[in-house]
Amino acid sequence: MNVAKSGYRVFSANSTAASTELAKKITERLGVDLGKSVVYQESNRETRVDVKESVRGQTIFIIQTVPRDVNTAIMELLVMAYALKTSCAKNIIGVIPYFPYSKQCKMRKRGSIVCKLLASMLAKAGLTHIITMDLHQKEIQGFFSFPVDNLRASPFLLQYIQEEVPDYRNAIIVAKSPSAAKRAQSYAERLRLGLAVMHGEAQCSESDMADGRHSPPCVRNTSGHPGLELPSGSKQQAPFPGIELPIMMAKEKPPITVVGDVGGRIAIIVDDIIDDVEDFVAAAEILKERGAYKIYIMATHGLLSADAPRLIEESAIDEVVVTNTVPHEVQKLQCPKIKTVDVSMILAEAIRRIHNGESMAYLFRNITVDD
Amino acid sequence: MPNIKIFSGSSHPDLGQKISDRLGLELGKVVTKKFSNQETCVEIGESVRGEDVYIVQSGCGEINDNLMELLIMINACKIASASRVTAVIPCFPYARQDKKDKGFFDIPVDNLYAEPAVLKWIKENINEWKNCTIVSPDAGGAKRVTSIADRLNVDFALIHKERKKANEVDRMVLVGDVKDRVAILVDDMADTCGTICHAADKLVSAGATKVYAILTHGIFSGPAITRINNACFEAVVVTNTIPQEDKMKHCSKIQVIDISMILAEAIRRTHNGESVSYLFSHVPL
Repeated sequence: MNVAKSGYRVFSANSTAASTELAKKITERLGVDLGKSVVYQESNRETRVDVKESVRGQTIFIIQTVPRDVNTAIMELLVMAYALKTSCAKNIIGVIPYFPYSKQCKMRKRGSIVCKLLASMLAKAGLTHIITMDLHQKEIQGFFSFPVDNLRASPFLLQYIQEEVPDYRNAIIVAKSPSAAKRAQSYAERLRLGLAVMHGEAQCSESDMADGRHSPPCVRNTSGHPGLELPSGSKQQAPFPGIELPIMMAKEKPPITVVGDVGGRIAIIVDDIIDDVEDFVAAAEILKERGAYKIYIMATHGLLSADAPRLIEESAIDEVVVTNTVPHEVQKLQCPKIKTVDVSMILAEAIRRIHNGESMAYLFRNITVDD
Repeated sequence: MPNIKIFSGSSHPDLGQKISDRLGLELGKVVTKKFSNQETCVEIGESVRGEDVYIVQSGCGEINDNLMELLIMINACKIASASRVTAVIPCFPYARQDKKDKGFFDIPVDNLYAEPAVLKWIKENINEWKNCTIVSPDAGGAKRVTSIADRLNVDFALIHKERKKANEVDRMVLVGDVKDRVAILVDDMADTCGTICHAADKLVSAGATKVYAILTHGIFSGPAITRINNACFEAVVVTNTIPQEDKMKHCSKIQVIDISMILAEAIRRTHNGESVSYLFSHVPL
């Protein structure tokens, strides 16, 4: 007996036209229509989602890109997911190419691990599966109680390098900081190019600040009697007198250095997110001084906040290549150095394979361990 | 009071300050900011280990941002080993899309009423209150209005929409008498103010001498302020669940009832394990 497989629908939970561009491209490739829904903000700024067709018993894919207004995008996704769950959709799969709050995934001094909070909220709203791209930290997958497919944009960026960078065989892949070295190395391996690593930043980046708590508090015992005698009446006594803890030495930041030779080469800096560009601009300056004659930046997610376009335009960077996971039309208008690579193909293919129950291994065939 | 901390989100810091002043406490130190990519970042500035934490955040302004900030603050307090975290949400967002009923929450909910504060304001500010009529601008608010009218021992009226034919505009019909009386419109929230402005016109043409509007939550989005300025209200009174300073600059008819003492008393009673139901019919001093 031929049982017809229940169909799938693709919805977009974004409210602005710029954000729904990617969803339109994906549905074109799949050959389906975008599901009919209306998402908007009321005059009192509450989000409203109306799903205009029946979704009973169907598999639903919600495509959500994250534009400037992050919290509104999250709310739109949650409201739509919950609306679909209460309308008896069978599976709700979130396609969230750039996963927001992924930089707030570590415990900071009395902060919140927002990424975990977001994962719990998405599960509660009714999502059963997530497709995303180039998660900032792969360990974020562990925050979820359901499957997470972390696709990679690197094949597209590698293809761009091979096709669009003239004389790419004379290039060298550069990691802007030691934490990006693993990713840079995987690019260098696949292109058979050299690697350089930059070290020593002028200011330490906010999101990588380690947990600043000390336990127990370091108090120097100045009374000169380590051991049994407690300093009387003072509130600032060491909890366990006699145990002298070495005070943590502040890390000294050396001036920026480049490990590796970039003289007479094209420098290609690779990273997953390009947001505040001050670090990139400073790195480009140094690379130019060391002899690189062209500087490219390849990043998966082009957030390009604040006045990034202006800073890039005025800097030594020749080209910034990002994918269309994050809408950045406005930034492109302000800065012609920004180029876009379309990744809708891999997202559409992932949707197709998940719906048909096929293996996703093909999409990961060209990925190294460190990517 | 030991072991209690009060934090205020960025939606209504003034109310947070008033509440903590009434309780004789300092507001807890917290830094809320946004990164350049618009992601919210929250850092609690003091120890909350083992404390009873109250977070004051109202659902107003940029609702999604404020909601996210509240969730992140609650999460941060829980991870920092607070013994209990209570959210104080004077104006609960998304309340018109779902019913804000107790049964929808898995955790205890205390829904306080502004009614005692409203009654007090009426008695202190409207001279002719003994001979007024309390009016509901729609049929749904009848219960609220009759409760107030009973406590003041005055009459009530209501306005309901009548649809003659399918495509015809709703007609507003006044049920009750307001001739030669002061009419007081009472409702829970005012957003674009279309309904209450129509209601005010109706009441004046039915013979009311003065029209007041008393609303718990003054959202006032879109054309609301213009509509109020053009309508025939003596005064539009709201509580300070939502910050009103900006709106008062553009409209002299808006007056504010301070409800910080009700919230402060609720917090005090919850912290001490006392009953909160006293507040349903009394305004603390």
